[in-house]
Amino acid sequence: MPMNSEPRVQSFRFANPWVQVAVSTLCVTISELFLKRGAMATVHVSQTWAWTGLTGLASPLVWIGIIFVVLSFITWLYALRHLPLSRAFPASQAVHVLVPLSSWLVLGERITTIRWCGIALVLAGLALVAKPVATLEEKL
Amino acid sequence: MTLLSLLLIGVSLVALVGGQLLLKRAMESTTGRGFAQRTFVISLLAGTLLMATSFFLTLGLLQRFDLSYLYPFQGLSVIFISIAAAVLLRERLTLPLIIGSILITAGVVLVSIS
Repeated sequence: MPMNSEPRVQSFRFANPWVQVAVSTLCVTISELFLKRGAMATVHVSQTWAWTGLTGLASPLVWIGIIFVVLSFITWLYALRHLPLSRAFPASQAVHVLVPLSSWLVLGERITTIRWCGIALVLAGLALVAKPVATLEEKL
Repeated sequence: MTLLSLLLIGVSLVALVGGQLLLKRAMESTTGRGFAQRTFVISLLAGTLLMATSFFLTLGLLQRFDLSYLYPFQGLSVIFISIAAAVLLRERLTLPLIIGSILITAGVVLVSIS
């Protein structure tokens, strides 16, 4: 694998691909919160077209959500420039920790015990997948 | 649960894995040659198209099934992408990476069924 052995990135600036994965994941989380708020705000708009999800576009919150989706996609592309997919993709699954946690903190949704266990498992997996970050940093 | 739905879940997963592989290929090609070249443009377009296909198939499936039923399949994408990246992109899979991916998949399944 020629490309990830090439440490062309410096420290923890935005150019660092792991920072890009983190920013991309954060953008997804922020977008989900805005989309949920926007979707809830447009429940009354139209019964006929509700199933398409397009009625959500009536809310500015949904548009902010869409902007964050686009930002996350672009950041993700940049992360793929230097990271192997077999590392970056599992790391991006941090959304499954961040989304439930922020739904709990920001939206006041409840988290069951089984869900806490799931979150713990994902975190343990992330620690293993992202471990080479330390090695990557040492090389620089 | 019909055979057709299972097929759609499968197609959506394959499209997601294929899309990510193509996006990876597109971005990898830019490290040496920049953005103004065919491999980048074609892979990026094809990858984005596959990601969109997967997105809308999932959206359609969500109209008929609970999120908690569909999400575990989405969790499997981690394992499929790691295997596909190892086979097709010749990325090296280490033991911690494999164990980590399995833990993340198990965690995503737990988060979604609870």
